[in-house]
Amino acid sequence: MAGQGIGRREVLRILGTAAAAAQFPGFSKWGFACGHIGNAALQIKPAVYRPQFFNAAEYAMVERLTEIIIPNDGTPGAKEAGVAEFIDFMVANDPLTQYEFRMGLTWLEAHSEQRAGKRFVELTPEQQTSLLEPLGFKDKARPGEETGRGFFRMMREYTVTGFYTSAIGFKALDNPALKFYAESPECPHKGDPEHLHLPQAGV
Amino acid sequence: MAKKIYDVIVIGTGAGGGMAIKTLCEAGLKVCALNAGRRLDPEKDFRYHRMPWDMKFRGLDDPKRRGESFGYMDNEYTKAAWDHEIPFTVAPGTKWMWPRCNAVGGKTNFWGRSSARFGDIDLRAASLDGYDVDWPLSYDEIDPFYTRVEKMIGVASTVQNRPSNPDGSYLPPFKFRCLDFILQAGCNKVGVPYLPDRCAQLTQPHEGHPACHFCGECTTGCDIGAFFSTPYFLLPKAEATKNLELRTNALAKNVLVDENGQASGVAYIDRQTKQEVEVYGRAVVVAASCIESARVMLNSKSRQWPHGIANSSGQLGRNLCDHLYGESARGYLPQLLGQPSFPDHVGDSTIAWMPRWQNLKAPHEEKFIRGYSVYPDGGCEEFPGFATDMDGFGSSLKREIKRRYPSPVSFGIQAPSLRSETNYMDLDPEVKDPYGIPVARMHFEWDENVLKMWEHSKQVCAEVLRAAGGELEGSGEAPEIPGWSLHETGTCRMGNDPKKFVTNRFGQTHDVPNLYVCDASVFLNCTDKTTTISILAFSLRTSERLIENFRQGEHRAA
Repeated sequence: MAGQGIGRREVLRILGTAAAAAQFPGFSKWGFACGHIGNAALQIKPAVYRPQFFNAAEYAMVERLTEIIIPNDGTPGAKEAGVAEFIDFMVANDPLTQYEFRMGLTWLEAHSEQRAGKRFVELTPEQQTSLLEPLGFKDKARPGEETGRGFFRMMREYTVTGFYTSAIGFKALDNPALKFYAESPECPHKGDPEHLHLPQAGV
Repeated sequence: MAKKIYDVIVIGTGAGGGMAIKTLCEAGLKVCALNAGRRLDPEKDFRYHRMPWDMKFRGLDDPKRRGESFGYMDNEYTKAAWDHEIPFTVAPGTKWMWPRCNAVGGKTNFWGRSSARFGDIDLRAASLDGYDVDWPLSYDEIDPFYTRVEKMIGVASTVQNRPSNPDGSYLPPFKFRCLDFILQAGCNKVGVPYLPDRCAQLTQPHEGHPACHFCGECTTGCDIGAFFSTPYFLLPKAEATKNLELRTNALAKNVLVDENGQASGVAYIDRQTKQEVEVYGRAVVVAASCIESARVMLNSKSRQWPHGIANSSGQLGRNLCDHLYGESARGYLPQLLGQPSFPDHVGDSTIAWMPRWQNLKAPHEEKFIRGYSVYPDGGCEEFPGFATDMDGFGSSLKREIKRRYPSPVSFGIQAPSLRSETNYMDLDPEVKDPYGIPVARMHFEWDENVLKMWEHSKQVCAEVLRAAGGELEGSGEAPEIPGWSLHETGTCRMGNDPKKFVTNRFGQTHDVPNLYVCDASVFLNCTDKTTTISILAFSLRTSERLIENFRQGEHRAA
């Protein structure tokens, strides 16, 4: 069976992971967010992340936006998962999106000044939320903010992608992917094929 | 020194080439196999259970590579195995995607593993509906080859007694997930089938190969060889005979001919030295995959074959067919909202299928002829793709993503295009690859018949989803562009009339008896089934014919 091979390969994989992670420049949270359970060797030492594309002011906005989109509400959110680092890294490697991100951030900053008389990161969390709601919720959309809505949609797409491809995001979903099973897993409710009588989960 | 002459030169090591290589070597023939790329090392080149965050771009691939990646299988995990060097062109109006795996084993390293046999309904389709021509053989003739292939590779499924799908002998099927039972109940109400797929994935140890461990990352390469691929299943057997010499990074350029116009070997480019090399054989098997095989043969121009070798019929490169793929419906199952996550993705999408149900009682029941199949999929996937389309933000978004995570479903159509005069490939008169070889030029559009199937599938799948209690969210705006399925067929069709077909009913070219074709290019059309298991069965039959011809003295052994 596969057992023996997997054991040996797991060790090689983990060693390989550490080596691969070490090649990424300066991630501070990615390593933490991605540490393999129970494997201290993979905890990359925190460093100050130096953005590769965004300037300091832009990066602060990006980080704040990711945190608003996927907050820490009792379980870790985008900030803990280092999603801003992920976005910076992807955008730095993707010239086609750089203009859109920069334009969007500029728009949001101007919008914030115009509506609340302050830079976006200086607003209170409540002010930030009320500024973003018309951009992020379809039924709260206001005319004249199309640019902002487009930017927010892109920001949300990147945030969600960055979060749910991190170890923290995997844990948030109890993601069952990439595990090993002795048998083909089977539906546990065969007595109820249409699944009309499942116990409701508490959410 | 006298030049070395092999018994057989085989171009390509995918399903067709791999089967030919194994069969010929085991019969004692000396084989030289040419493969355009390198060997893969599973430990270095496969995904190897690496989590997304172990990858530089989370497995999403370098955005800068956006323009050069050729499809869903060509990604951050597997990109080293795909050919990005040899270009191709498209005629005005044609869209075409042409993913080519140049690694040893070809696309079998990453294939989808669905493995249904063609049936009489496919081989005799023309007799039934009057379109095009029948295959030059009956199902009874190919049946024993399918049986032997299934034993060799291991196919998980059940006996289903479907008129369009001959049954074989199967390993235990994948077990149904929650979503399968729910969708099956919907299908029952609508009156369409929902059954375990035929999946060449080992649900138990088989013929010395380990069982699957259900990690669900099959299409990035299996690190233990628990599904069929030539490097795990066929090449080791060929190498054990000591009759195989495998040359890698050997890009076939043209088939060489002797003074009588018979095949005498192959000229190839050594991609490392960039030098042209010749290798000689008593017979040649072309198995470079449909379009590349035709390209090599069209590029084999000589005094005797001014329009390409074995092309007196003018049919080489013609009659191209492909599977239309697309998302016929997508939505979610409210029954599963908020349920605990469950390993739904272990079969990497080939757990269930809706095998062809149209035009079975009579060939013209529907507004289209022939039929299509559908692959349902969904549940907890490695990345919740639906999440990027959701509304809102904050805790409500996070909660809703978690709640929706087990519930998404989608339906993918697999529909055959019809053979037509206007769908074909030829050589671009101007564009050459980096080695100076003319590239393939594609001429292709979806036909009216296949587009009717697409419309039909959208309607039926929506109905199934609603009958299952699901919420329909939409469908693909358009089908995927041609080439996406990697199931192209038909550039060297087989038939009895040398004026109309490139090869005879055994895959031996009419014009050049010591030149054989062992891939999907000999198929008359692409049916509603996938191609790999049929490539294996037909290649086995062709290879045994070749061996028999050696025994009869038609080709002299070296």
